Amino acid sequence: MKKLFTLVLLLAFVLLANMSLVTADMHDWWAEAAAPYAGTTIRGVSESTPPSNYVADVLAAQFTELTGINVEFETTSWDQMYSKAINDMEANTGIYDFVYIEQDIIYSYLAQDYLVNLTQFAADNMDLAYADYDESAFTSFADYFKNADGDLFGVPMEAFVKVYLYRKDLFENADIQAAFEAEYGYPLAPAETFEQYRDNAEFFTAYGESMDMDLWGTTVQGSTGHPASTYEFLESIGPSFGLYNWGINLETGSAQSANGGALDGETAIEALSYWTGLLPFAPPEATSSTWDEVASSFAAGRAAQGWVYGENAAWIATDESRSAVTGNVGVRLPVTAPGVIEAAEMGEGYIGYYDGGAFGVPHSSRNKEATLLWLQFIGQSSVQAEWAAAGARITHTATFDDPLIAEQDTKVDGYYTLLEEQGPLFAGAPPFPFHAQVREIIDPFVQRAILGELTAEEALSQAAAAVDEELSRLGYGM
Amino acid sequence: MRDSRTGWLLLSPTLIILLVFGFAPFLYVLFVGFNQWNIFSADDGLVFNGLDNFRRLVFDDDFLHSVGLTMRFAIFAIGSQIVLGFVLAQMLTRNFPGKSLFRVIHTLPLMVAPIAVGAIWRLLVIPGFGPAPFFLDRWFDLTYQIGTYPDQALWTSVIMDVWHWTPFVTLTMLAGLTAIPKEPVEQAKVDGANRFQVFWYVTLPFLRPVLLTTVFIRIMDAIRTVDEVWMLAGGGPGTRFTGIYIWRVVFPRTDYGYGSSISIITLYLTIVLCWLLFIAISGRRKGEVE
Repeated sequence: MKKLFTLVLLLAFVLLANMSLVTADMHDWWAEAAAPYAGTTIRGVSESTPPSNYVADVLAAQFTELTGINVEFETTSWDQMYSKAINDMEANTGIYDFVYIEQDIIYSYLAQDYLVNLTQFAADNMDLAYADYDESAFTSFADYFKNADGDLFGVPMEAFVKVYLYRKDLFENADIQAAFEAEYGYPLAPAETFEQYRDNAEFFTAYGESMDMDLWGTTVQGSTGHPASTYEFLESIGPSFGLYNWGINLETGSAQSANGGALDGETAIEALSYWTGLLPFAPPEATSSTWDEVASSFAAGRAAQGWVYGENAAWIATDESRSAVTGNVGVRLPVTAPGVIEAAEMGEGYIGYYDGGAFGVPHSSRNKEATLLWLQFIGQSSVQAEWAAAGARITHTATFDDPLIAEQDTKVDGYYTLLEEQGPLFAGAPPFPFHAQVREIIDPFVQRAILGELTAEEALSQAAAAVDEELSRLGYGM
Repeated sequence: MRDSRTGWLLLSPTLIILLVFGFAPFLYVLFVGFNQWNIFSADDGLVFNGLDNFRRLVFDDDFLHSVGLTMRFAIFAIGSQIVLGFVLAQMLTRNFPGKSLFRVIHTLPLMVAPIAVGAIWRLLVIPGFGPAPFFLDRWFDLTYQIGTYPDQALWTSVIMDVWHWTPFVTLTMLAGLTAIPKEPVEQAKVDGANRFQVFWYVTLPFLRPVLLTTVFIRIMDAIRTVDEVWMLAGGGPGTRFTGIYIWRVVFPRTDYGYGSSISIITLYLTIVLCWLLFIAISGRRKGEVE
């Protein structure tokens, strides 16, 4: 017995010593590899999101401590991020050493050859290759940032889906359940059909009013002064009705039904009518809400259910300092029309938006080597779990199995499991090299439909015609 | 001769800076305005297209709508600022308790950056969270949602601009009023002029140069308003002014050629408007010499 105890003790000692040696080795490697660049400052720009803020607050400081390379990371508004990054890359000014590449803009950036081929660059600088960084460790989301040869142009830093969130405390309340069933004739439950979703929204809006509560039936990302409304319609609501690729037919270069497009088709009109029809059941801030305000509204307990970007799921469900609904957040797949899930399972469609982004290095960067080290640092497996717990984003397949994520998963009602198992039902934005240009054309029409100045049919008919005109002007149309 | 050369020498740094940072960019914008240039088009180079961009904007409903909105915004905002600024300046020419404190508080908005003004007002008026919609609903049963009602967004922009820039008008008017000699005013009163007649026939003519300068500055500012309105309402319906429209065309749409042509036309409109106002206020006609 004594011998066994001594043996176990010895083994534990060896294990601990080994671990500390490995950690020391890791530290040594970063310090050694970064020695020529110590004191360098690398600059980056991104949208202010939970995952980006984690990079700015936590990872940047850790990297600087290990390497002596300073990281100036600007987290700004979504619009400003794009303007700053594109202006820098287009003018070749070299202000930024790494930029956030949202999945939907990667095709535009690749078409303009703005970005460094990271796979190639790493192969050309083998002395900077970190052992714990492995491109094959990323989830399939990384494929969006690869070229036809499989070379990576951005290190994925966030990936999440837009899910259906609902208030468990309301949906599971016996009195509320009874009141709902008495009024609608069927049990209250998280919605699985659009009719059910609308009934829920109508019911909870009336309930909030009758109880003198600041409670409405649904969120609507319906800002009339921001592209967020167009995105919710084209990338969340549209696909759940079966409207894919913004209704634009890339082969014919048209959005009009007459030329093979679908933006002015029946499915699109039905989707837009349905979505704008939810506005009476949304909080008053809905027409000023982007993705940030939608998350804030839900976290403030002002909506019973809604479509919310998954990057917010973790803090809404767990952070008591910011959320009034912690412990009461239910997570489900978004509502879909009949046949949409089946089509997605067969790879013929998708049910919503698989959002996320990566950090890429512009050709204009003056500190590519130091930035390569930084991107490997954020892309290594050891930093992924805590980052995922804070920002509800997962870019590594192994992160799903991490004990920290398993624990967090239970607090966020299985969000991470949903992301892993049903993530493939979602898809990124269509491969348009003219993404922002065409979306800007569609914006005013969606916004006028929200305001009721145009019917869904009028808005989409005019939008489709305007898109075709712009595509033609850009050289992609008929 | 030597004096002249010294003068040019002393002026040269300013002239060089003006040429490099003012005139050269203007010429570049003018050049781009006659080209089709979108970096995300299939052909991302500059393609000369003559007057096509200018022809396009004549039929661009969004642009024409933005010009109309900007004019409404400018007329109401500047009109209110002139009237309020004059009244406040008149008040400040007299002594009253707390005058110094009032002058400091009144001038404070002028020191705030436009982007911060927009952020402050957004926090005030955002539906669901801001105090303005809350109290308007509670006290007057008034639904106030700038994202839903374009007119409310426009009027909120006007009020915000008045809050921000009236102190500037007050200060310039105050400078003008204190510079008016006392004799003509006293002479008019001795001759039996009432207060309105003194204002109309004596004060106003003396104030005319100050008024003209102030209105010119405010018109130019109002027409190029972007940042504070952008922060307030994101340039949604009711606030999609010309400056914001240009920003949208040039940055998210990266349509540099068309954006340049709109910028040139907007500059032209500003010059014409200022010239018309100059004639209207100064009363100067063709061939007249002061």
